[in-house]
Amino acid sequence: MRSLILAAALAVAPVGAALAADPIEVVSEAPSGGAEVKIAKMKFQTPEVKVKAGETVTWTNTEALPHNVHFKPGAGLEKDLEGPMLRANQTFTVKFNTAGTYNYICTPHPFMTGKVVVE
Amino acid sequence: MTHAHTPARPMLRMSAALLGSAAFAALLAAGPAAAAETHGQAGAKAAAAHLAAGKEDDPVVLEAPAINPRRVYVNDPAHFASLTQQYVIDGDTARVVGMTDSGFLPNPVVASDGSFFGQVSTTFERISRGKRTDYIEIFDPKTYKPTADIELPNAPRFLVGTYPWMTALTPNNKTLLFYQFSPSPAVGVVDLASKKFSRTISVPDCYHVFPVTDQTFFMHCRDGSLLKVAMGADGKDETAKTEVFRKENEYLINHPAYSPKNGRLVWPTYTGKIFQADLSSGEAKFLPAIEAFTDEEKKAGWAPGGWQQVAYHRGSDRIFLLGDQRAQWKHKAPSRFVFVIDAKTGKRVKKIEFGRDIDSVGVSQDAKPQLYALSTGEKTLFIYDPETGKETAAVNQLGHGPQVITTADM
Repeated sequence: MRSLILAAALAVAPVGAALAADPIEVVSEAPSGGAEVKIAKMKFQTPEVKVKAGETVTWTNTEALPHNVHFKPGAGLEKDLEGPMLRANQTFTVKFNTAGTYNYICTPHPFMTGKVVVE
Repeated sequence: MTHAHTPARPMLRMSAALLGSAAFAALLAAGPAAAAETHGQAGAKAAAAHLAAGKEDDPVVLEAPAINPRRVYVNDPAHFASLTQQYVIDGDTARVVGMTDSGFLPNPVVASDGSFFGQVSTTFERISRGKRTDYIEIFDPKTYKPTADIELPNAPRFLVGTYPWMTALTPNNKTLLFYQFSPSPAVGVVDLASKKFSRTISVPDCYHVFPVTDQTFFMHCRDGSLLKVAMGADGKDETAKTEVFRKENEYLINHPAYSPKNGRLVWPTYTGKIFQADLSSGEAKFLPAIEAFTDEEKKAGWAPGGWQQVAYHRGSDRIFLLGDQRAQWKHKAPSRFVFVIDAKTGKRVKKIEFGRDIDSVGVSQDAKPQLYALSTGEKTLFIYDPETGKETAAVNQLGHGPQVITTADM
């Protein structure tokens, strides 16, 4: 009986997830083919990247000073999405599900700004 | 040394009851106690005479003496404690004439005419956690009663070790401006006349707020320029950057001196190079930079250091800079000397040795100013005559870690 309920839940889950998909979501591993943004010299080296809905962007911190990627509410994003601090050579990948312009900063360095335009 | 602790409200009421209000009020109103007599001894004498005359005690809530340019505000951030205090000191008598309470890392302001003082502060519903409330509190300088309590939406304050020019009043004392660091650089505008938060002005990557007119203020930007912000009607604000006036490796300290009355901005670097800008015209005119120390002195380790490391006296056009021999990167350690410098010529007028560690300096803006030297470690405000270089009085027991001196240029 329990396995039946679990199976039913699993069957429904993908549909429910698709309906409730967040406009952006953190992805644990970067798939090939996504856009890349390097972080160096207190800057997002490509401050504006364009991707299509469903594609990913991966940020790589190339310097010893920790940085992160912190999205502010807007473009369908209701709450802040504050990424973890990245040390040298660490990465952070986000999948963009919905078209729009997503502005972000580095939390401790708010003068570091960037945006992702999702078409 | 005198324990000049005369807090307002409940504590003051208790003190008055102990001493007899008439005697106590007379003591507060009187000038400095005779050299050989402490304030405590004078108070005891007055209370004994009161008692001998058969007079009864009639406890009252006292008011502070009339304000003057020697009213000194000493803020105690208390080493980042959630609850903090400000001590109001009468420089003439070297007495605490009131106190106010505040929350986490408040920014004090004092009206240029002395008509009020206040703070931008932060509290939490459970001391240091729970719902956060940022607010502005304005106090009457005689009764210390709050006359305004203005809440700031969305907790916008920049929580930082207290930098006086992260919060400022416009010259007409009707608008309060405060800095927001995160999520993006901005300046909050609060209309004190209507007691309402007005709006937030988005600014580039710039810091500090130096009001020049009631509609204009300057900031200092990461790229080494100043930013002029003209506050327009209906929120149509305009910003423009000046030329870059300092090199990237010339590190300006967090505590510049600024005189709103003549628009003079005095901004030392870690090595004692002093940049000055005259903002009085509404445009930034950069004056020739001054070197506080000779090359030989620099080689011998002389450099500025402390918290409020610099003060500026408008009437005499003099700069007071804390300095000492120190290792590089010890710029926040206290100094045992203050260097008095003619702001126009850059010439050193005097070197005063405190004989103790001083973290912050301030100066009253009257014709014969008092020099205020605050020791965070000793929790004591020392008052000096800058002409003779002699200590004239001291007020101790100023909280846990007092750091900020504020005076009004009345």
